[in-house]
Amino acid sequence: MAKTPETAFDAPTVIRITNLTKRFVIRKEKNLKDRLVNFGRSNKHKDDFYALRDVSLEIPAGQTIGLVGHNGSGKSTLLKTVGGIIRPTKGLVERRGQIAALLELGAGFHPDLTGRENIYMNGSILGLSRKQVTEKFDDIVEFSGIGEFIETQVKFYSSGMYVRLAFAIAVNIDPDILLVDEVLAVGDEEFQQKCMNRIKQFQRDGCSIVLVSHSAEQIREMCDRVVVLKNGAIIYDGETEGGLAALSSSFEE
Amino acid sequence: MTDSARLRAERLAAQPLVKLASGPGNFFRGTLAGIQEMWERRELQGILVRREMKNRYKDSTLGFLWTLIKPVAMLLIYVFVIGELLSASRAVPSFPIFVFAGLTLWGLYSDMLTSSTMSILQNAALIKKVYLPRQVFPFASVGSAVLNFLVQFCVLIVAILLLQQVPITWDLLYIFPAVLVVVIFGAGLALMLSSLNVFFRDVQYLVDVAVVMLFWASPIVYSFRALSESQYGGTWVEQLYLLNPITVAIIAFQRALWLGGPAVQQEFAEKGIDPAMTYPADLDLRLGILVVVGLVFLWFADRLFHRLQGNFAQEI
Repeated sequence: MAKTPETAFDAPTVIRITNLTKRFVIRKEKNLKDRLVNFGRSNKHKDDFYALRDVSLEIPAGQTIGLVGHNGSGKSTLLKTVGGIIRPTKGLVERRGQIAALLELGAGFHPDLTGRENIYMNGSILGLSRKQVTEKFDDIVEFSGIGEFIETQVKFYSSGMYVRLAFAIAVNIDPDILLVDEVLAVGDEEFQQKCMNRIKQFQRDGCSIVLVSHSAEQIREMCDRVVVLKNGAIIYDGETEGGLAALSSSFEE
Repeated sequence: MTDSARLRAERLAAQPLVKLASGPGNFFRGTLAGIQEMWERRELQGILVRREMKNRYKDSTLGFLWTLIKPVAMLLIYVFVIGELLSASRAVPSFPIFVFAGLTLWGLYSDMLTSSTMSILQNAALIKKVYLPRQVFPFASVGSAVLNFLVQFCVLIVAILLLQQVPITWDLLYIFPAVLVVVIFGAGLALMLSSLNVFFRDVQYLVDVAVVMLFWASPIVYSFRALSESQYGGTWVEQLYLLNPITVAIIAFQRALWLGGPAVQQEFAEKGIDPAMTYPADLDLRLGILVVVGLVFLWFADRLFHRLQGNFAQEI
């Protein structure tokens, strides 16, 4: 297992995944009538799909880990089970510390509330108290560059302003674990640069990052370790270049 | 390793690893953990209730006034059509107060059911992306329904004062168990219906129909006496009727706010009606049993919700 010299120092484990399996049952009927009609013989009307098979992974504090793989290889499912959004079928996820997810920016926004109200609501959703949000409020507004529009309902925001505010909230709550799902390409170039700087700041501060990305460039630039998933199983776990090579060879098969 | 990273690592090392829920889990366990989690997230709950209130009449000029206009319009219709045209008011003294009391409590119940049923689906974007205890969504609907109810209740009190039928008797205390029963059963059904609606979208339509039917299954625009003096009085139909927790709650609510005033009593005397006939004899016992049964039901609904919520994110 590749570890950078920094994390080789007795860093505590922040995420431990043991034999994680996620089975989706795909039902072909959705309404009550179909369910009742097919009750008892419903096995014919559903398919099993294994999104994750027996995945085990341990992530120490301060490591940035890239999850790569084909579409449908289970990257996002893995990220969501770590985030607690999806309950696994079998296996165990253990973690510690404050977690923040950049799964889809602005998911928690309510269009009729102002930017200010949304910051408080989003902070509360992520588990912060009102006092904690107030402390970070100015940093969030400054980072987002929204300025005076903070008192405007977010439905009047441009899409760029929307994601900038969402990103600003997620990174300013100072999480111990940051889950990122292909959302780093937000805003204009200047803001992207700001985001990257911020993420590098996180890495220096010992925050663990789990990143799902299709961009080899981004993985190479940010990650200490790469995990390659294929059909829900880990086929490679190790240093970055090897992981990217394993990924491209899995494409060729 | 930078200093801040070292500090963070030391802080993290001191924290225990927390296991996330996995597999179907035990149906009966986790009640206390659930209550504790809800307590920790009470601030979020408050924010969501406020959002729900704001959302309800967003950008409308009259805004919050609409919460009052609707029941008042219904009240006028029932008083005119059922009270006057169908002459129900002859058998029920102070008919407007009677109807308004029933409508107010019924409004709380129907509001809780209809708004909470959709609550999980309406917050799909959040539920799919962020973890938070999902009970907060149906509970936010319940909370906003209760706030609406309190406003309507104040209007009811003002109306009673204006009509000078102030019911200052010990029966006023019936308000508390009556509202409690409605809130307990409403909250339990909110948890149950909102989670089932994720898997069976028919539930939302079923609730719409059920609410319309149940309205007539409680003595809101007719009196309980009308039923007990009809051919069904004293039969199993009456017993079945009284098994409905909301029916018992509404009767208790009317007993608190409608029967007590001197003006109403006088009207009873003039019309030769025995006031004792207007509610069932064992009302206290029924209310007591309903509170206990309701709490068991609420607990069961919470466990069902807990079991189902693991699959919310993938089913929505």
